[in-house]
Amino acid sequence: MFGLDFSWLLDPTYQQWLIQGVLQTLELAAISSLFAILIGLLGVYGLLLRRAWLDASIELFVEVFRNTPPLLQMLFFYFTLTQIGLTTLDPVTGLQVPVVSAFMSAVFSLSLFGGALCIEAFRSGFDAVPKATLEAARALGYSRWGMFRHVQVPIAARICLPPLTNVLTNLFKTTSQASVITVPELMYAAGQIYNDTFRTLEVMLFILLVYVVLVSLVVWGIGWVQRALIYPGYGA
Amino acid sequence: MSDVLYLKRKQHIRRAFLFMALLILALSMINDQGGQWHQVWQKLPLLLTGSMEGWPLNGGFILNIFIGIASMAIATVLGLFLGLMMLAKRRWLSLPGRAVMNFLRNAPWLVLLFAMLYLLPYRVELMGWHFTLSPLFKAIVGLSLPTAANFAEVIRGAVNSVHSGQWESARSLGYSQWQIYRIVILPQALRRIIPGWMNLYALLAISTALATVTGVQEVVTLLRTTLATESENSLVYFYITVLLMFFCYCYPIALLARRLENHTKGDAI
Repeated sequence: MFGLDFSWLLDPTYQQWLIQGVLQTLELAAISSLFAILIGLLGVYGLLLRRAWLDASIELFVEVFRNTPPLLQMLFFYFTLTQIGLTTLDPVTGLQVPVVSAFMSAVFSLSLFGGALCIEAFRSGFDAVPKATLEAARALGYSRWGMFRHVQVPIAARICLPPLTNVLTNLFKTTSQASVITVPELMYAAGQIYNDTFRTLEVMLFILLVYVVLVSLVVWGIGWVQRALIYPGYGA
Repeated sequence: MSDVLYLKRKQHIRRAFLFMALLILALSMINDQGGQWHQVWQKLPLLLTGSMEGWPLNGGFILNIFIGIASMAIATVLGLFLGLMMLAKRRWLSLPGRAVMNFLRNAPWLVLLFAMLYLLPYRVELMGWHFTLSPLFKAIVGLSLPTAANFAEVIRGAVNSVHSGQWESARSLGYSQWQIYRIVILPQALRRIIPGWMNLYALLAISTALATVTGVQEVVTLLRTTLATESENSLVYFYITVLLMFFCYCYPIALLARRLENHTKGDAI
């Protein structure tokens, strides 16, 4: 087809690499999404406390991570975290290796990046919770944390899901940049395969397709959650 | 505390942060014990313009800005077509448009850039003219594709946000489909398209860092080659410098976009 050669796909070695790459990508995306959502919740709780200095600090965090390239953030954290001096004895090779692996620094950097995006996405959702509902909750004697947990989060989570989809897909796509700091995920596997087969175009087209399918699955999955969580008669 | 007072206090604290950051930066530059800032200072022209003397412009951060502007120009045209295609009433137009938009939006920028790098031929022949496609050109095209898809989505959202009554009244006044778009809908949608467009430009400006994988001499490539020759303890300083470059360029754009966005928020059109 168009002079493209996809016969390398049949090679078990490459299949193995691809599967491992996909698994690593999924792992990276899942862990950093989880942390990102946690950071997002923490950040938005901080915003709700309405302390001007806390608010400004969170804003600073969000703006720094939103307005710098994730690639550079990743390189920055990779080099600083692995060179911070913490080393441990690797039992296999007997060498001193950094405690923080490339994978961990990728998780760290992606969590902060995703967290910043999450705070931004959650903020609008929490703003959209009706004031009257909050006043009612306060009148019923909810504590601030209780109100956050039982009133604001359940309502805001449903409003936040569409922007959260954008954030999580963005985060998922950004995991491909972890290949630059040698995390063996899908993009890295692609590099290995085309270095082996010299079929650069075919490999990249295939990887592109795999990513699109994976991201579409994420979009579809969140959409499913969104439909499942809907409050009848509340919102769209 | 009332809202106005609160926002005012926040503004004060924001200024205090900025002042503190500048102070810390200045103090660490003055008290430059290991000479790291000196190293950064020496390489700064290289990082900004790609040549040690600051002239001629060979690359560096200037090239990032150039890639950003060129990609945005292509993306604006492509995105406009794609967006109007998606909005078309005819399904054979809107379905492919939507499919292309979804594909490009769900593909990671980095992978798309790589794919373009290998998909575009090295030489092309167009009406008897031979062109050599440089990595720079490929990077620009590779970055413009996802931006175009996002821009198409911005257009679609903005046009759909125009109240349906506008369509109906324009139609009852005898405007044709194209006239409705041109005279009634697009001028109103433009108010929402412009902030989205600016946000997208800020995003694209950040993503130009990815062009490093094509090997063009933009700031990340130069940073990494520079770091290979510098001592390891100056690494953090170099990274902070380049991160600051991006921040100082993108943050004002994002801020302005948000201002415009807040202006249009809530106005019923």
